Amino acid sequence: MKRILLYIVVIFSVISSCKKDDSTIFQQSPDERLNEALTKYQAQLSGAQNGWKAVLFPAGGGSYSFYFKFSDSNRVRMFSDFDSTTATTLKESSYRLKAIQQPSLIFDTYSYIHLLSDPNENVVVRSIVNQGAVGVGLVSDYEFYFDSTTTDTIKLVGRFNGSKAVLTRATAQEATAYNSGQLAAGLNINKILTYFKRLTVGSQQFDIQVKPVDHTITFTYLGANGVLQTFTTGYYLILGGITLLNPLTVGTLTITGFNNMQWNATTETITTTVSNTVSTISGIVVPVKVDIGAPKRWWDFAVANGNDYWFSGKGFHVNGVDDAYGLAGLRSGTNTYYYLVYWPSYDPGNDFFGPIFLNAAQTGLTLQYGTGPNTPTYTTDGRAIFTQLYTYGTHPATGPAALTRAKLYNASGYYFVQTGATTYDMVSASDGKAWVTWQW
Amino acid sequence: MKIFKIFFCFLLLVEITSCKKEDALGNVDNITGLGGDLWVKGPIDRWIFDSLTVPYNTAVKYKYDQFELKLNSTLVPMKEEFVIPVLSAIKKVWIETYSAETNANFMKKYGNKFFILVGSGNYDLATGAVNLGTTSEDGTKIVMYQLNYFKTRATPGYVPSDSMVAKEVFKTIEHEFAHVLHRNVLYPFTFTQVSSSLYTSDWTNVSFAEAYAEGFVTNYAMSQADDDFAEMVSFMLTQGKTAFDAFVNGINYTGTTANGTTAVVAKQRLRLKESIIVGYFKQSWNIDFYSLQARTRNAMNALLK
Repeated sequence: MKRILLYIVVIFSVISSCKKDDSTIFQQSPDERLNEALTKYQAQLSGAQNGWKAVLFPAGGGSYSFYFKFSDSNRVRMFSDFDSTTATTLKESSYRLKAIQQPSLIFDTYSYIHLLSDPNENVVVRSIVNQGAVGVGLVSDYEFYFDSTTTDTIKLVGRFNGSKAVLTRATAQEATAYNSGQLAAGLNINKILTYFKRLTVGSQQFDIQVKPVDHTITFTYLGANGVLQTFTTGYYLILGGITLLNPLTVGTLTITGFNNMQWNATTETITTTVSNTVSTISGIVVPVKVDIGAPKRWWDFAVANGNDYWFSGKGFHVNGVDDAYGLAGLRSGTNTYYYLVYWPSYDPGNDFFGPIFLNAAQTGLTLQYGTGPNTPTYTTDGRAIFTQLYTYGTHPATGPAALTRAKLYNASGYYFVQTGATTYDMVSASDGKAWVTWQW
Repeated sequence: MKIFKIFFCFLLLVEITSCKKEDALGNVDNITGLGGDLWVKGPIDRWIFDSLTVPYNTAVKYKYDQFELKLNSTLVPMKEEFVIPVLSAIKKVWIETYSAETNANFMKKYGNKFFILVGSGNYDLATGAVNLGTTSEDGTKIVMYQLNYFKTRATPGYVPSDSMVAKEVFKTIEHEFAHVLHRNVLYPFTFTQVSSSLYTSDWTNVSFAEAYAEGFVTNYAMSQADDDFAEMVSFMLTQGKTAFDAFVNGINYTGTTANGTTAVVAKQRLRLKESIIVGYFKQSWNIDFYSLQARTRNAMNALLK
């Protein structure tokens, strides 16, 4: 009996052991398939006669657009919406395809795409390329693996940070438009120098604020019930305009972006097509809805919180220029400029406005001179008007401090916009082109 | 029963022999990336091949390759327009000066063979430190950072204070090459005795001023005798004799350090280490160190002053 069992086992093992079928699921070896994939991607990338338009979404946030034209000899030329230079000047660099863990596309010498990844420098060399932290940059990528492809679309994922990128095959017209610098059209918005910019689409009005640093745009408007609404979304530049990451819907109007943006230098306005309607963007002084209580709230906050002061590093931004009066270079004897302050109720009955200096030993702050405004007058339309009561020390009659003082006493006064719990922007009511950002 | 047994043995034999499953290896020529990355060669690649690879058997990677670098650092590749200026400066200051003091084969035999170029600094987010030039692997590979800011007199708008990155590059190379030299012929034992009680793994917590006061050229030189040697050689070559003498003579504090060193002792240590190094270069390599020092400094001045 035992023996029969043994024979059975042996017979079965003979039958089953000799299976020689080692065919795999795939017809070809992994290397052959890898080579095939790389060849296919190479042919697709460099085979696009008119190049690729691309949107890169860094893992650190934001969205940036590119135009790539790949050659079949490891060279790539690109535009980017990073700034006005990168949008209009074609730059050539190197790329290669490589089998790493997945078939990957590597931009392997420096070009516009690396501006987002650049870690910035603050040792030996000081160089701030983007607004990201030193050592990190904007947490973007320049090595990507192929996620999925169709004939006209390539989806990429960053290998280091996991940023996403989508490449779309460009048409001949689009290639021509990129090469004629039309990616820069959306940057025209910064040519309007006022704090508030008014977008008018039909009868609907919006105040828009564009922040090029983190590629966001904020719409402020009155909703159907007359209540002030704000909507913030990311954007990236496209040919002739801007595309919003998330559309804004107000009643029957849906805004997905601005097209055909045309700058009119005479009127300092932009004509654009929004939701198939010809619209305008123009500089304005008075916002859609003034925050009437803001000036007093700003003043009271300082008094209520230890009677301390508001400060601003750069002072007045005027006509598109930060620190327009050159406070950064201000000196008083051996003391150097530290920041500009507004000190409500500095003395009974009047405030203090002027520069605060760092002493020569860099150990303490010192007041040298300043102007003493009356407690501001609050108008019913939401402005604060400053008038001079007193002068502290020997105030210079010319130079940065004098210009800053004269600007404060502008007879039209200032609107205030609360931008955070303890941050206010003080915006000139005379032309809207000057403002100070107050911090606590 | 016998026939059964024979059949059984036959079955066993069949089973043993039948299962040989030897497969062909496949086409090994087809393995992707075997033999390194390939790309269409451009003018930079040809310059490197003609100027460094053919004469000195030296390879340079200026195209980004993450696997040569720290895997968790945010780095960016080089700007192409800087590659040739960086490499030709290295050639002038390092390869050509040693060659002039020795013979045509010296640098071919001993020179570091593999350079990796990186555009940005290498920030360590944990410590906040930045690594500007370094990481040598067994005297072969040298990685250099922050080269997108490399400037020489040829750079438009150059001012002398722009020379910082270039100086770091030269210091790094001279340091790493000094390691190559002492790994081939060790420096005299007397060198390790000069500062033997002061080497510490805690050198990162020592300031430069404290290191000077103990008779070292940098705090890194305090890590171990090998690095003391490499830092001394690098410092003396890149600073030049005049500046080195001024540096030594400038150590003039009163009293003693925590380790009981006086300024006089610190100076003596530096001078002793200097003389050992000069002797070592002469005896082991037949190199006139002061002549090499003058050449190196002149080559740097030509580029940076």
